[in-house]
Amino acid sequence: MFFATKFMAKMITAVLFLGLVGLCSVRAMGALQSSAAQANPAQQTWRKEFNEVCSKTQAAMTFSQEELTDLILRCDALLPQIEKLDESQKKVYMGRLRMCRGLYAYVLDAKRNAKK
Amino acid sequence: MNQRIFIAAALILVFCGSALPQTGVKKKRPLPYEYGRVIIDNYSHKANLAPVVFEHWIHRSMFTCRVCHVDVGFGMKAGATGITAADNARGYYCGTCHNGTRVVDGKIVFQACSRKANMEEEKRCVRCHSYGQKATSDFDFFKFSEPLPKERFGNGLDWEKSEELGLIKPANFLEGVSTSKGNAFVVQKDFTLDPKVEGMPDIIFSHKKHTVWNGCELCHPDIFMGVKRGTVKFSMVDISLGKSCGACHTTVAFPLTDCQRCHSKPVQP
Repeated sequence: MFFATKFMAKMITAVLFLGLVGLCSVRAMGALQSSAAQANPAQQTWRKEFNEVCSKTQAAMTFSQEELTDLILRCDALLPQIEKLDESQKKVYMGRLRMCRGLYAYVLDAKRNAKK
Repeated sequence: MNQRIFIAAALILVFCGSALPQTGVKKKRPLPYEYGRVIIDNYSHKANLAPVVFEHWIHRSMFTCRVCHVDVGFGMKAGATGITAADNARGYYCGTCHNGTRVVDGKIVFQACSRKANMEEEKRCVRCHSYGQKATSDFDFFKFSEPLPKERFGNGLDWEKSEELGLIKPANFLEGVSTSKGNAFVVQKDFTLDPKVEGMPDIIFSHKKHTVWNGCELCHPDIFMGVKRGTVKFSMVDISLGKSCGACHTTVAFPLTDCQRCHSKPVQP
């Protein structure tokens, strides 16, 4: 009777342990497969806005101060959404957003200086 | 007697000590196929892998600087990006192209870091994690450079002319990654910079030439932040330390030893 109880306890421990390992693996795989989540339409809203805002950098010199200010504000509005992304995506898009916003701020500064 | 020996020894030590810092270490000039090479070892050693050897010449022949340093998001300083195997496996950084599905120049680009780890996968690791390893590359610098116009320094190639002649066609757009084709930049006209050294030709700086491959945000404001011309003073010492022009012209673009490519305005008699 004692051995049967001990055996059962060991079995339960083993099952719990395997379950935990399984759960961790699924979570880890889920994190790695987040690139597939890029195709998720809900996540694509920020991407669409990002593409629209940051695709204009090549014409930054042609924008008025008001237009540049608006682009900077749109960049700032994107920041909290990008901060919520997974580690890799966040790293890439935070950098891209920083460069894009930085350029608009730089050109705006140049235009303000030119007017002085 | 002992005191004299002691003083002499002390003097020798002082002289040697003061001479040492002035000697410095002479940097070896990289060979044409080594120029632009980056050794990436953020986490490789910790994962019992050799560091990654990244060859700029292979990649710059296929893509503009902007595609990788703006759109893909690689930093401008070696090690600054902090690329991890997980980033690559998720399809970012190297994994943006090296994903086993993207086709470049009619070839499927091999997958970078993968989620599996069997013997077959490990063989592929060495294609990038090749520092100090016996790895063979699909690309041969000498074969590649043979038809291209030559220059004296760096990779020994005139990359700009190579593109003009259609011998290389660096792509400026990466499907699903780039936001714009980046081929219609509105920029300032070329201007001259006075080198402040008598007899030294003026520098002719072309925004047009630089934006073709770099775009605007690669340089402004991170590398060049002064908005008013003349407010930031550039010096060759700073440039050779990797600041301003030196961010590219000490590492990948033609090096500082090629003086007349920047100091190109003829000196008036």
